[in-house]
Amino acid sequence: MHEKLLELNDIKREYGAIKALRGVNFEIARGEVMGLVGENGAGKSTLVKIISGFDSGFTGSYWFDGETRNFKSPLQAEHSGIAIAQQELSLIPTMSVAENIFLVGDGIPTFSSKSKLIRMSLDYLDEVGLSHVDPSIPVSRLSVGEQHLVEVARLIAHDPQLLILDEPTAALGESDSIRILNMVERLKNAGKSIIYVSHRLDEIFKICDRITVLRDGENQAPRAARDMNVDSLVETMLGFELGDMYPPKTNVSKSKPILKIDNLWPDGVLEPVSFDVYEGEILGLAGQLGSGTSEILSAISGSTKIRAGKLHFDGEVFRPGTPKDTIKRRIAYCSEDRKHDGLFLGRPIMENFSAPSLETISRSGIIDASRELSTTKENAIKFTVDPARLPQEAGVLSGGNQQKVALGKWLSINPKVILVNEPTRGVDVGARAEIYEILSALANSGVAVVVASTDIQEITNLPDRIITFYRGVQIGELSGDDCNSKNILEHITDPFHEAGIAISEVEA
Amino acid sequence: MSDLNINPRNYDLFKNIKRDYSPLVIVMVAIFITTFILGAIFTDDFLTWFNVKTIIRDAALVGIMAIGLTFVTLSGNFFLLSMKEIAALSIICFATLMSADWNVWHDTVEPTTGSLAMTFIVAAVITLLLATVAGGLQGALIGLGGNPIVVTLGAAGLFFGLGSWWSDNLVLSFRRPHGAEWLGTGSLIGDIPNITIAFLIIAVIAELTLRYTTFGRQVYLVGANRAAGRATGHENFGMAIKCCIIASVCAAFVAIAFSAQVSSAHVNYFSSEFGSSGDMTIMVIAIVMVGGNSIMGGYGSTLRTSLGAIFISSIDNMMVLNGFNSGARVLAVGLMIVFSIIVFALVRRGSRAVE
Repeated sequence: MHEKLLELNDIKREYGAIKALRGVNFEIARGEVMGLVGENGAGKSTLVKIISGFDSGFTGSYWFDGETRNFKSPLQAEHSGIAIAQQELSLIPTMSVAENIFLVGDGIPTFSSKSKLIRMSLDYLDEVGLSHVDPSIPVSRLSVGEQHLVEVARLIAHDPQLLILDEPTAALGESDSIRILNMVERLKNAGKSIIYVSHRLDEIFKICDRITVLRDGENQAPRAARDMNVDSLVETMLGFELGDMYPPKTNVSKSKPILKIDNLWPDGVLEPVSFDVYEGEILGLAGQLGSGTSEILSAISGSTKIRAGKLHFDGEVFRPGTPKDTIKRRIAYCSEDRKHDGLFLGRPIMENFSAPSLETISRSGIIDASRELSTTKENAIKFTVDPARLPQEAGVLSGGNQQKVALGKWLSINPKVILVNEPTRGVDVGARAEIYEILSALANSGVAVVVASTDIQEITNLPDRIITFYRGVQIGELSGDDCNSKNILEHITDPFHEAGIAISEVEA
Repeated sequence: MSDLNINPRNYDLFKNIKRDYSPLVIVMVAIFITTFILGAIFTDDFLTWFNVKTIIRDAALVGIMAIGLTFVTLSGNFFLLSMKEIAALSIICFATLMSADWNVWHDTVEPTTGSLAMTFIVAAVITLLLATVAGGLQGALIGLGGNPIVVTLGAAGLFFGLGSWWSDNLVLSFRRPHGAEWLGTGSLIGDIPNITIAFLIIAVIAELTLRYTTFGRQVYLVGANRAAGRATGHENFGMAIKCCIIASVCAAFVAIAFSAQVSSAHVNYFSSEFGSSGDMTIMVIAIVMVGGNSIMGGYGSTLRTSLGAIFISSIDNMMVLNGFNSGARVLAVGLMIVFSIIVFALVRRGSRAVE
């Protein structure tokens, strides 16, 4: 074993009542690629923030490169040789590749000509596998994957000892992903240590030496990647059963679909998709980030444009145009980003609840205040939002309560179909269980619920039936006993494995 | 966080103010109010019935325009930078129709009340229709995703050019008596000018519309979060059109009232005759801002705008009575805008106490 570079012991981090990390030990040796995996909310991002100096409010010991450290800011961590490539790029699109590489940090000349920067940048571009890129062109002309590589080139220009890559391939296509993986290989051979955070298990096995699994803020001792396989890794990630939190599944009679999706082709999905939704069921759309599930839901609701296709709904054939059309037909859609388009944060909670049904609570253009209050109160109680809080701004609510309002507002239109993308993102465990219960109750009352989620536990346990997607392709359907995490993971991470086809061949 | 069950016996105003607002806000507002009250007491002739009437009458024309513009701002569509140009085009249209050849009474006989009224109604209705079209076009462009600043700057040039071309850049005047004197200079109730009454009525109607109608609620929702508005079935396209029409019609109404007052029209009237800064558009935007309406939309009211108009007008009046020149008054308006933006921003931040 190589010499240790970083060692964290008994790291604890609490945000209010939420224990994000409950005593995590983490280590990485020099020249090692360490995979960091875990479910959403397991504490990966908190741990990464602590390592890279963004979060100093933790307890526990932090040892790096021979000394105990206590970084107060990311800048200090950077000076000590820890660099992080976050999911969001921090490049300036209009500046050239070379200028972006030498944007800020140590060892950057105060005055320099463009040609000098370009000469200096060539080495680093070679190192990340971008030798074909002209350093004088603006970053905006590169593909997203190449931009990620430029970001990494900028980091290694400061010669860090430890590089953290936080889901570098989440938003990338296959060829760009391969570039990233090759780069990691090269950096490792150059003696750098790399923490590789990813949801894509196939990649983890391809490049990591050891794997640390985080689960509910605790970790398993790191194990060598060659001693594990996808099955055992998934088992470690999921650990215990979380069955209690989820309402029992029901067997829905597939007699008459209420909504038939007929060759719907949203932007961002490789090929048209078709499936049926039945009354009273919870249908799950399983897939990782970039698999197309969120595009499909928002396309059904009319929020995003579609290239082709139509919907058969309640004996009517129509092409979704705007959310207004679909709301009129009582199809509700709750997006994954409540702050963006789910809530009016600056407006009272009451107005949030009644927003989709303004027309029905109004009489000849005037809002019927008592009717608004009574229906809103009723829906608030169903979602366990305290009715006394209705006049408050929605922005003061916690994440869980905000999500309940974002979802609860759709009760006001008495939906026949409700489409929910990531029903519990950024929601604490208590509110999670409540949301599952409400979705299940809605389904039992005859509403068709369609849930898209990247959370493997949720998508395994909540829906009655599952349709799986992988990188914009509809893979298959699972129901009954086949709805287990193993099958789902196989479908959504590496579906062509058994057929013996490499992913790149399929997409080429 | 606001208490819902306030026990009236234990209700302590000062305690609540202390709890709800930061010390900085309290100090700033206190200094401001003190200055204003001292100014009001020590300025001769400020607190007279005549002067109060003057203040409100001065506030009326810019106030009505600002109320219209408030709808645009609240709906998240920023400002119409073409307010004064819409008014300029409208005043030319109105005066042209009031003095048109078909209005033949002036050479032969004394006009009847009926023919005067008819002329006025035709001129006013056509002017308001023109403004509706002007507002609707701008609203459609903004609603389709055009940047409000770019669209309305372009529209401003268009309208001003049209008005200037149409009038040959001349002053158009029409002879008294005409059917619009009651609006310009008349007073039906005691000695309160009708334009003041119109201002108050419009202010009340606008506020009631925003508070109690479906449309009003949609204005706030779309303004607070356009994406969420779209997701819940309230598109900004129709909203932008409606709000721009409201603002344009208010501008045209002001143009009609002003033309009625002076029995004439010129495209430059709204560039030079109004408020201390002289530019009507700037003045109207200043009023919306001083009222504490959020530039980003979704927060504010036309009541605030109306109070803002009266407020700016009274400061201006106070400074005139104390012999300040126009430069100092422009400075004062500028300071007030900066001041109110800071105070309202602090108040808003304070109210966002997170759970």
